[in-house]
Amino acid sequence: MNGEGANLTRLQMTTIVVMRVLIGWHFLYEGVAKLTKPGWSAAGFLKQARGPLADLFHGMAADPSVLEIVNPLNMWGLTLIGLGLVLGCFTRLAAASGILIILMYYLCNPPFVGYFYSIPTEGSYLIVNKNLVELAALAVVLVTGSGRAAGLDRIIHGLLRRRPRPAAA
Amino acid sequence: MAGEDQKGPGDPPGKPAEAMTAGKKVDRRDVLLGLSTVPALGLFGYAWKKQYEYEQKPREAASAKAAAASGSVSEINVALLGAGAQGQVLLDAMLRIPGLRFRAVCDVWTEYNQKRVVNTLKKFKHEVRGYEDYREMLDKEKDLDAVVVATPDFWHAPHTIDCLKAGKHVYCEKEMSNTLEGARSMVLAARETGKLLQIGHQRRSHPRYLHCYEKLLGEAKILGRIVTVNGQWNRAVSPDLGWPERYAIPADRLKQYGFTSMEQFRNWRWYKGLGGGPIVDLGSHQIDIYNWFLGTPPAHVMASGGLDYYDPKTHEWYDTVMAVYEYETPAGTVRAYYQTQTTNGSQGYFENFMGDQGTLVLSESEANYPGFLYRDPNAPAWDEWVQKGYVSAPKIQEVKERDEEAVLDVRESVSPDEHRVPVVLRDPYHQPHLQNFFDTVRGEAELHCPAEVGYESAVTVLKVNEAIDAKQRLSFGPEDFRV
Repeated sequence: MNGEGANLTRLQMTTIVVMRVLIGWHFLYEGVAKLTKPGWSAAGFLKQARGPLADLFHGMAADPSVLEIVNPLNMWGLTLIGLGLVLGCFTRLAAASGILIILMYYLCNPPFVGYFYSIPTEGSYLIVNKNLVELAALAVVLVTGSGRAAGLDRIIHGLLRRRPRPAAA
Repeated sequence: MAGEDQKGPGDPPGKPAEAMTAGKKVDRRDVLLGLSTVPALGLFGYAWKKQYEYEQKPREAASAKAAAASGSVSEINVALLGAGAQGQVLLDAMLRIPGLRFRAVCDVWTEYNQKRVVNTLKKFKHEVRGYEDYREMLDKEKDLDAVVVATPDFWHAPHTIDCLKAGKHVYCEKEMSNTLEGARSMVLAARETGKLLQIGHQRRSHPRYLHCYEKLLGEAKILGRIVTVNGQWNRAVSPDLGWPERYAIPADRLKQYGFTSMEQFRNWRWYKGLGGGPIVDLGSHQIDIYNWFLGTPPAHVMASGGLDYYDPKTHEWYDTVMAVYEYETPAGTVRAYYQTQTTNGSQGYFENFMGDQGTLVLSESEANYPGFLYRDPNAPAWDEWVQKGYVSAPKIQEVKERDEEAVLDVRESVSPDEHRVPVVLRDPYHQPHLQNFFDTVRGEAELHCPAEVGYESAVTVLKVNEAIDAKQRLSFGPEDFRV
């Protein structure tokens, strides 16, 4: 297989694990902060939507039935993805879900030519913004399976293995 | 997949997983590496705790202050009648006030609003019961001292009157009632029962407004003679309020409480017979200030308004209203303009009092118009008021580059000095007014907006809708404001 990461040096894998933990931390706090803020809703963010999918997001913001699903999904999604990435537990699932959720954020406020936002005031972006960078970083996490290098996945995979065999492939 | 039973990726190449051959599924090295990132979670927990404490500190300080003060104040048993958006706003403010013990929450939307507020109060350790019918609540909750009413306007009169008659003090949201008869019967009920009735024109207790009224207009007469007033509340287009389908109220219950549909229940402010439209919802806050600051209710009003933008199927009241009042004050006539429109939120809301010596622009917001004063260049100096701390030192008027080339037309006035009203409210906007109510319940204060004052304001504001329909200038008689 060895493309999956077995060829990485310890330093390379350590770097990826550190990156995974940092992204996980970010997700975890985004989730926890929303969970602990009473009455938090995605409506405000969705209302700011621009770009090709703006109508879809505006529709979501205006529909309480949809918000009732989107809000907990977002809060718990962020929290669980964050936990998964920090602990290296179900790392690939967490990374894939993280990519999806960030893709939604990206599409909600895409920094395309001609769009001006009032909310993000801390930088200058053209097509690429921090969402997209984090998304790409998660793609690296997804394909390198770092949870099995350092993370609970290592133990989980070990326990799930049917029976030990010699390592030679 | 290949490699599935190898050691994890990232193991140094050329160092095969020999341990696996020993027969153990998971060896010590696996456990160590498996748990290697757990400390990061611990660190996160520590950082989060610090952050949480930091955010909580002001809140805890407020509640500690409230708790400390509770020892010295008698406890008041309170019920919230109406647990919608406004009820929530009042509740958030009340939770910061010392010495309140919540006993009951009444809301006909039992599956949603009532549940939410009951749960919130339980979190704050209040033993609170939920009711759908306020009469049942009044029957069962004999210990209540006060009821805070935040129901739709057309329920204010029956709710307030029955609570007063049951021996409770009442804080009732504005508008006092959607009808003059309703408002009048509330004043009478308060008089007959001898119970307190505070109407929720919360600016009457706002420290900045009190400062302007007492110090700037009263003592300093800083504006000179006020000749004109203008004010506005502009609001951007907003969609109708919705509701989660699975929490919809059954039709028979809606009907029982005076609503024809869930849509109407959620958007009652737009319906005739239930609310009064934006001029009442928004305008009454500020027109009440006109009356207060000018020291008299108006003598005449003319108004233009209509439903110019929204769908008449779901909106009955006027989305756009412009009104002009004429006040006959001891100093002379004051003309006061007010507009509310709900299609563009620019410049938000403020009141602007203009005298021959200065201008005062203020609002209850700390973000927009938190109290600006402009001294007319010909007016006497304000040094005394600056020294006394009534107004801030003037801001130097900056000369903009483009102004250098501009020629001041002889017809233009010189720009006045800009000062600030140096009073800031860090608490929720409604807290001081509620505090004033509960202080009065304890016999330690006087109501800032008793029934009679609320009535005056209701007469002033409800007349606008009448003037729009009449398409002519209407007059108030002094008897119109008396009960």
